[in-house]
Amino acid sequence: MKRLTGLLTILIITLGVAIYLAQNIIPPENLHPLGEYYLENSYFGEHSAKSPEVVTSILWDYRGVDTLFETAVFFLAIIGSLTIFRLNREQSEEAKQGEPKPQLPEPVVVVTKLTVAMILAVSASIALHGQLTPGGGFQGGSALAVAPLLVIAAYTKYALEKNGLDKTRAIIIRSIGLLGIALTALTPLLVSGYIMQNQPIFPGEALGVPLGGSLVLYNLFEYLAVGAGFTAVFLLLSIPEEKFKKFLGVRR
Amino acid sequence: MNILFLLGAILVTIGGICDLFGAIGLLKFPNFYVRLHAATIGTIGGAAIPLFGVALLALGTNIPHKHAIAGASLITGIITLLAAPAGATALAYAAHKTNAVEWKPKIDHLKEARK
Repeated sequence: MKRLTGLLTILIITLGVAIYLAQNIIPPENLHPLGEYYLENSYFGEHSAKSPEVVTSILWDYRGVDTLFETAVFFLAIIGSLTIFRLNREQSEEAKQGEPKPQLPEPVVVVTKLTVAMILAVSASIALHGQLTPGGGFQGGSALAVAPLLVIAAYTKYALEKNGLDKTRAIIIRSIGLLGIALTALTPLLVSGYIMQNQPIFPGEALGVPLGGSLVLYNLFEYLAVGAGFTAVFLLLSIPEEKFKKFLGVRR
Repeated sequence: MNILFLLGAILVTIGGICDLFGAIGLLKFPNFYVRLHAATIGTIGGAAIPLFGVALLALGTNIPHKHAIAGASLITGIITLLAAPAGATALAYAAHKTNAVEWKPKIDHLKEARK
C-alpha cells in the first residue's frame, strides 16, 4: 500500500509537470542570430569552413581554440593517470609476463573477434566522416578504445601485448596524434595566417568529397590520440592487483 | 494490406510480448541463472525480433529511404543476435566460476566438466 501511494504520487507529479510543460513552453520561432550565422556560413557562406556538418565546424574551426584546450585538459588527465601508475623497466617487463589464453568459453571469444573488427570499422567511419555526418575525432576515438577493452576482457591483456600493442606503443601513437593536432594548428602561421585558421589554407575538397579543410586532419589526429590514450590507461588498469602490490612492496 | 507490413507488425507485437515476459521473469525468477534467461528473452525476443520486424515494416510501406531503414534495422538485429548470447554466456560463466550464486542444481554439467 505504501509503495502504491509512492508510485501514484510520482505518476501524478510527472503527469502534472508534463501537462504544464506542454502548454507553457513554446519552441522559439526565430533562430538565435549567432546560430543563424553558423548555419549560413559553415558550408556556403563568406566565412566558410567548407563542411556541411555545422557542429564539427564550430568545434574545430569557429571555436577551435576552445576545443584545443579541452583536448589539452583530457591529455593532462591521461598523463596524470600514467604518472600514478608509472613502473620502471623491470617492473613493466614483469607486468607483461602472463598466459595470453582466453579465459572465457568459445562462443564469447568468437563473437568478440567479430565485434572488435566491426568496432574498428565503425570508429574509423565516425572519426573520418566527422566533417560530413554527426561524430568526430573524440567520439570515434572513444569508440576505438572499446576494441582493446573487449580484447582485454575476452582474452587477456597479455594477448594484446604479445600482438604488439603494449603501453609504450599506445603512448607513441597518442603522441603522434597530439603532434599532428599541434602541427595542424600551427601550419597556418607559416603561411602568414592566424593560429588554427582553416580556409583558404587547407584544401576544402578531394575527389569530390568535402573535407572541411583542416577539420578532417584534426578529427584524424584526435581519433588516434584519444583511442591510444584510453588504450594505455586500460592496459595499466588491467595489471593484476597482486603484481602491483608486489611492485609497491605492500605487506599483507 | 501488404503482406510484408503484416509480417513486420506481427514480429513487433511478438517483441512487445517477449519484453513483457522478460520483465516479469526478471522480477519473479528465483536465482541469477534463471533471471539471466529472462534477460536474454528481453534482448533476443524483445530487441532482435522487433528489429527484423521494423525492417519488414519499412519494406512494406512507401516511405522515403525505406531500403536504408530496412538494412540498418536488419544489421542492428544481426549484431544484437550475435552479441546478446555472448554477453549472457560470459556473465553465466563468470558467476559459475566465482561461485557467486546460491543455487541447488539437480545436474551441474559445467562443474563435472571442470573436474
